[in-house]
Amino acid sequence: MAHKRTRTRVSLVDAELSMTPMIDIVFQLLIYFILTFEVLDDIAHLDVFRPAPDAEQRDEMETPNVLQIVIYEDGFTVNDRQMRLPAIERTMERLASFDPNQTVLIMATAHSRHENLVEILDLCAKVGLTNLSVVSMN
Amino acid sequence: MAKTRKQKRTSTTAPVNMTPMIDIVFQMIIFFVLTVEMERDAIDERVRMAMAPHGPLVEERDPRTVTIDINERGELSIARVPLSPGQLRAIMRNTVAIYGQSLPVVIRGDQDTLHQHVNSVMDICTQAGLYRISFAAIKQLN
Repeated sequence: MAHKRTRTRVSLVDAELSMTPMIDIVFQLLIYFILTFEVLDDIAHLDVFRPAPDAEQRDEMETPNVLQIVIYEDGFTVNDRQMRLPAIERTMERLASFDPNQTVLIMATAHSRHENLVEILDLCAKVGLTNLSVVSMN
Repeated sequence: MAKTRKQKRTSTTAPVNMTPMIDIVFQMIIFFVLTVEMERDAIDERVRMAMAPHGPLVEERDPRTVTIDINERGELSIARVPLSPGQLRAIMRNTVAIYGQSLPVVIRGDQDTLHQHVNSVMDICTQAGLYRISFAAIKQLN
């Protein structure tokens, strides 16, 4: 009887000891996850429509009342009037209050930066204009 | 006889030690599941996107989405694989042939890239029959 008791005690101690490597590895995993964890930036997707290749010229001619924004390397024009971003925003807000489904034609010159296009698309998203058409201008 | 009984007892205590192993195996499974998910949207991290704080936040992504990266110098890549415009054209044509014209296309353009590079990608998409294009932008830096 005495023999048996000591034996069971020994096996119990063994079981407790085996926790240590598990804890080690769990801590290792924890450290690994903490070190490799990277907070991702929130991404927005700005949807635009692209006119079909042959419809491009027709589109411009048929709808003269459309809001037309041209992006140059050094600024913007709205319906051929030079404007800065705050003024463009006000114009868009007014337009969106009449008809949010109105088409906005955004034309970008070849050497304008992509950031400027995104700025305009962001303003459109802000005021709620969703019908955006992006074309290129030479 | 007494010795064999002893051995039996130790062998019955062995299954108790399975628990930590199972724990770790589960941990590893979780790890692999998470990393596979990350691998799916392999993107060019060097592309610095423009800010669009008012743009609609991406919540649910269509698994078919094709993300085209355009870096500062106008070089194209999909999932970190550099492509020439001709290769991209062939890829887009094949992909549209498989998935149809509802295929979502996202262009991740660097903020300093020139519009002509973005435009050439948009032209390729339009020629493949995709008229709806999304531009990725950063809504909020975390």
